[in-house]
Amino acid sequence: MSALAVITQLFLALPLLALVVNNLVPRETMRHTTIGMSAGVATAQLLAAIIGFVLLSASGESSFRFALAWDAAKGLGYFRVDLVTLFLLACVGLVSLIANLTAFTTIDDHRSSFTNLLMVMLLGMNGMLIVRDLFSLYVFMEVTGIASFVMIGMYKSTRDLEGAFKYMVLSMLATIFILTGLSLLFIKAGSLSFDLLRPALFEGVVDAKTLLSWVALVLLVSGYAIKSGVVPFHSWLPDAYESADSAVSIMLSGIVTKIAGVYSMLVLVRLFPGNMALRGTLLVLGLLTIITGALLALQQQSFKRIAAYSSVSQMGYILLGFAADTRLGIIAGLLYLLTHALAKTALFTNAAALEKRLGTLNVNEMGGLQAKMPVTAFSSVAALLSIAGVPPLAGFWSKLLVLIALWSAGLRGVAAAALLLSILSGAYFLRLQKKAFFGKLNPRWNSVVEITGGIQVSELLLSIATIAIGLLFPLVLLYLQHAGLV
Amino acid sequence: MNVSTIMLIAGVVLILTGCFELIRTRNMLKIIIALELAIKAVSMFITLGGWLNGNMPVAESFVVSVIVIEVVVATVLAGIAISIFHKHGTMDIRNLRNLKG
Repeated sequence: MSALAVITQLFLALPLLALVVNNLVPRETMRHTTIGMSAGVATAQLLAAIIGFVLLSASGESSFRFALAWDAAKGLGYFRVDLVTLFLLACVGLVSLIANLTAFTTIDDHRSSFTNLLMVMLLGMNGMLIVRDLFSLYVFMEVTGIASFVMIGMYKSTRDLEGAFKYMVLSMLATIFILTGLSLLFIKAGSLSFDLLRPALFEGVVDAKTLLSWVALVLLVSGYAIKSGVVPFHSWLPDAYESADSAVSIMLSGIVTKIAGVYSMLVLVRLFPGNMALRGTLLVLGLLTIITGALLALQQQSFKRIAAYSSVSQMGYILLGFAADTRLGIIAGLLYLLTHALAKTALFTNAAALEKRLGTLNVNEMGGLQAKMPVTAFSSVAALLSIAGVPPLAGFWSKLLVLIALWSAGLRGVAAAALLLSILSGAYFLRLQKKAFFGKLNPRWNSVVEITGGIQVSELLLSIATIAIGLLFPLVLLYLQHAGLV
Repeated sequence: MNVSTIMLIAGVVLILTGCFELIRTRNMLKIIIALELAIKAVSMFITLGGWLNGNMPVAESFVVSVIVIEVVVATVLAGIAISIFHKHGTMDIRNLRNLKG
């Protein structure tokens, strides 16, 4: 049994084991260790995914097939990992680790439930990343979804429940779209396995059955767009992020929408390369998302809502990367996903710090907090500059790669538009920084002190990661040049 | 007019009924029922797919999974709706106006 075979087992075994332990040991005993345990699971997943990535790229294979331990002996291989999914598994581990560090401070009641739900969510996301057919992808998407609905509504306050209800109704609509699309694709192709779905489904004479696969594609893209909160299907997203606890918002914004929505879109792009209609749809959705998200973020008053609309807006760049439909485009989109996850996670940890210390998230009531909360202000500025695309931070390089990918794919107009629109993301974040951290200190906050503990650690960790990735990024560029992609 | 065409039309009608009710109603319970109706029609589509391409065992496993998922989702959704009912004393979705912007 190779090392990779052991590592891949961990992605399902660790969350399941943590779930069992968390529920077998009495709740009062577990109270102080439960979040530590889930942080341990997240760290283990991060390390396992990184080691797996190195091993797989060293072996030269494109993907690795495996099955659950008791089935592997029979020679079955119904799961697979490749470099893309291992990269995303590492992102899942990283964001969950930060969410746990934040949860040490923000979550007091319901700690055990938080761990349970987080483990179910982790299981769902890992499952989505390792399956080999569209139906299992849907099943694990629903597992992730159910965990996030309950997490949003965990405290049963009026706002929590409202956010959860809105998310849930739209998500059920997405389910209807996706399932109808899958059933139509099933009629046409006879199977939903990734190995059997080919671009050829859309070619040939236009008869009733080819029409079915086009309808299926439309439905699948709309369903996944709802899940990823892309404009015009974004209405649930700010409500859900604002009402949820900060640790939950970190999970939702940092990774859940990206895995449940954007990764599913990526699956479609990888299954049907060269499909002009899919490419055009992603381009239009991407541009529309960037513009609308940024304009809506400009007029929000709540810190979390600004971050949420910025999340919507940045999702557009990832879609643009995928729309280039080249290997470089996909790599650029994935790197954008990582840098955006780092920056947005940092912003939501800042929101947790501000909520803990000030008790409000309204940016009009803040002002001059830089003097009182230097670490929070620093990490928030680093995240802002990274998202706005200022060199040499991580966000600049990934945005540059998206633009290069669009340019070399012949979409020069779109590349120029995307470049111009990144000014908008600078605008709403400058407004946020000016109101919250710069300027004269609001006398109301004279006695405020800097946040301590897990939140401060994760703020520092994320700022360092953003700066370090930015400084080391030329190495990635050299590697891409070596592979002949740039 | 063969059986598969009739099933296809019936399914589309059911989905459209569900979506129409979703737009029309302001009652949370009715929203849940409308969504359930549409998902039932989708399970019918999957069965039809398996029947048309002779892959019935796969279709059966799909439908069973869909039923299980749908029950869980409906339970959670109804739980949230009941909690909102306890807060406001009514099932009207026009009360859900705390989050704006």
